[in-house]
Amino acid sequence: MLWLLRRLGTSLLLMWVVATIVFMALHVVPGDPAEVLLSTGGTSPDAYAVAELRTQLGLDLPLSVQYGRFLAGLTRGDLGVSLVDDYPVAQEIMLRLPRTLELILAGSLIAVAIGLPTGTLAAVRHGGGFDRGAGAVAAVLQSVPVFVLGTLLILVFAQWLRWMPAGGFVPASQGLGQHLLLLSLPALAVGKGLAAVVYRMTRASVLDALSRDHVRTARAKGLTPRRVLARHVVRNALSPVATVLGLHMGALLGGTVLVEYVFNWPGLSTPLLRAVEARDYPMVVGIILTVSALFLLINLAMDFLYAALDPRILRS
Amino acid sequence: MRRLVWPGLVVAVIVLVAVLAPLLPLPDPVVQDVAHRLAPWLPGSFLGRDEFGRDVLSRLIWGARSSLAVAFAASFVAAVAGTALGLFGGWFRGVAEFLAIRGADVLLCFPPILLALLVVTLMGPGTGTLIFVLSILYLPGFIRVAYAEVLSARAQDYVEAVRALGAPTGRILLRTLLPNIAGPVLVQVSLAVAAAVVLESGLSFLGLGVVPPTPSWGQMIRGARATMEQAPTLLLWPCVTLTVTILAMNLLCDALRDALDPRGAAPPRRLLDRVLPGLLPPPAPALLAVQGLTVEIATPGGIIRPVEDLTFSVTAGRTLAIVGESGSGKSMAALAVMGLLPPAARVAAGSAWFDGIDLLRAPEPALRRLRGGDMAMVFQDPMSSLNPVYRIADQVTEAIAAHRSPRPDEAVALLTRVGIADPARRARAYPHELSGGMRQRVMIAMAIANRPRLLIADEPTTALDVTVQAAILDLLADLRREGGMGMVLITHSLGVVAEVGDEVAVMYAAQIVERGPVGEVFARPRHPYTRALLAAVPDGEHEAEGIPGTVPRPDAWPPGCRFAPRCAHARAICATPPVLEVVDGRDIRCLRWREFSA
Repeated sequence: MLWLLRRLGTSLLLMWVVATIVFMALHVVPGDPAEVLLSTGGTSPDAYAVAELRTQLGLDLPLSVQYGRFLAGLTRGDLGVSLVDDYPVAQEIMLRLPRTLELILAGSLIAVAIGLPTGTLAAVRHGGGFDRGAGAVAAVLQSVPVFVLGTLLILVFAQWLRWMPAGGFVPASQGLGQHLLLLSLPALAVGKGLAAVVYRMTRASVLDALSRDHVRTARAKGLTPRRVLARHVVRNALSPVATVLGLHMGALLGGTVLVEYVFNWPGLSTPLLRAVEARDYPMVVGIILTVSALFLLINLAMDFLYAALDPRILRS
Repeated sequence: MRRLVWPGLVVAVIVLVAVLAPLLPLPDPVVQDVAHRLAPWLPGSFLGRDEFGRDVLSRLIWGARSSLAVAFAASFVAAVAGTALGLFGGWFRGVAEFLAIRGADVLLCFPPILLALLVVTLMGPGTGTLIFVLSILYLPGFIRVAYAEVLSARAQDYVEAVRALGAPTGRILLRTLLPNIAGPVLVQVSLAVAAAVVLESGLSFLGLGVVPPTPSWGQMIRGARATMEQAPTLLLWPCVTLTVTILAMNLLCDALRDALDPRGAAPPRRLLDRVLPGLLPPPAPALLAVQGLTVEIATPGGIIRPVEDLTFSVTAGRTLAIVGESGSGKSMAALAVMGLLPPAARVAAGSAWFDGIDLLRAPEPALRRLRGGDMAMVFQDPMSSLNPVYRIADQVTEAIAAHRSPRPDEAVALLTRVGIADPARRARAYPHELSGGMRQRVMIAMAIANRPRLLIADEPTTALDVTVQAAILDLLADLRREGGMGMVLITHSLGVVAEVGDEVAVMYAAQIVERGPVGEVFARPRHPYTRALLAAVPDGEHEAEGIPGTVPRPDAWPPGCRFAPRCAHARAICATPPVLEVVDGRDIRCLRWREFSA
């Protein structure tokens, strides 16, 4: 219990550090944000307009006051308003976050559904044809960039086979079938790297577990090979797999940015990319903080899952 | 090393072509020629023209130049800065350590592409921004590698020695530590370059990386997406080039890591082959009769034989103790009988008859029905031999369920039988919640669950406290008496043999050197090794005498008598291998035994 609390505390502390760094980054960057915002194509902006925008953004206040307001806003879930259209950043994020989460979840499910069985099979038949074949596929999957795979998937499934549209989004409430169809390719693209990681880790972990003493005990009991594998090998091999799953979720979050762009999936990446181009600071900061918080949260959840899978963790 | 060649070659060619791009006879990659837009092939443009009529091949090669330049520059900056930070953090500890390590932790809180987007927002897109952000992103990897290596190197003797000589810190860091962490840092560099190529192309694909018209692979894919329908090949070329480059880099990283990490290389494994049919008839009436058992392991240095020509038998209700030092092959012999040899080892010769079945040649399903049923085994280390993630009761019940359906509470009854106090509560515990003695009792409970006729116990008390040892041995003796079990007890302790053994077989360097009833062997040992072992036991009156030297390794056995190099009675004649003689129901493997036992 104490362990859980300490773990939670560390995550909160890290979140605070991340928020502070993002805030500082905005203020140490050379050039005044207001000036940068108003300058269009090399012409120097009107001094009066800059001053007005500075007041509007609160940039004329002392840094400590700005920082205090920033943190106070964060604790209330207030991330400010977009500089482009005055729309509250938090509201925009809440609208789009579920779609990004759905993509990540679907991607992880696909990764586990592919990686776990193939990794186990490759370990059991290690050195054989299946092992080598799967290893080669995993190496290629790990190497192909998400946006390349996404683009190629569109080329094959939308352009040549014409099985589905090239991208887009239909809410589940307006047609679950179409929703899932449109989800399938982006989820595959998001999960491909994780699938390769899960495959590799499962294979290594199962190979390791196979040589353990307690597996020898299980065999000495006269259990069937299938039961030995299911109860004493795979179950024990799961903890390290869960850990890498957590460790690589960050890469998954990064991958969704590109995948959403490729497939026109209306998650967080559309407003993020738009905001990066328009230098819409509150929007960029809001989304980056949200995703970083998500990242920490996933890691936290993975730690708890790890503890549930391995009863020894809570003791140490 | 062979694995380094192909990926290395591919990466080398790509880098070379990129470096030589200005010298190659290529059209200008940025000159537009709208008249020939999307042309599939033109003289001088083998891969055709893109949507602005620019030469695709030229753009691919010049694109490699910008991608690789960014990746290498960023990795170089990250490597220098990160290694320096890690070195200082690891060497000076204190504040430097805190800043370097916590800083790395914080950087790792950001998903890489988001940190990149944040920096792009602040600094605007461009090559300089890319190098800056990529070098920040790969900083933590170098900090951690350098830090970890320094921490472990600090304690090494050679670093201590240099420090003791009074060398200045700077020189220690540069001349002594840096060469030693070069390997891991090199691996990290190759990882960073590969990752940087991926991220650079991703950002350029989003239009936030390399600024047009400078060609880059990510941008080419971005541009070709619009004309996917008319010219799919335009999309394929940069996709394939990018993927092949990254694949080659990743494979190179893996090979490099394996080559620089001595722990990585595992010997090739061979599968068990048991195709030879049994030629010898089953000798009666022993419960287990092992004859000529030989186990081989294929190692990179050749085939070794940890067990050689082993012959012994066990009758019902009696205990055979196999005694010997570590490395004498006693555990390997037991595992061979159970059919539980590790994958690298295989039975090369011999037979082991149990209940009309030759265990060494029986098919796996038949063996499986015997294991945990009619023959069971208790292992040395009860902690690692129990599965840490299941409760005790589940593991005991499982042993029963493998052969028949368990009665409710049978697990608790078994725990009671092996003398565990408060069995109902212990049944719900996990292995780590029990003491070592209790865990071994659980192992025994699992082994006797189906009333086996043969129990093999491999050093069942070695991992336990002395006080617990006696209790476990009493328990085994009781069980044997009650159930009429035959037992093979493997141990290195003569005290254990005297306490529970009926017969004893002394093993040395894969062979049995002496075998006979415990009382006779202890009273009148025939083999010099047995005598030396007995003399090594402190008994109050005499000072214990150690045996000089250690058991030779299986790949370096003496040609004649294997004990000769350590034997006080060795003569020139001992260079010829002694055979196993059977005299008065006792086995002895020594050419000169008659001279000593007079």
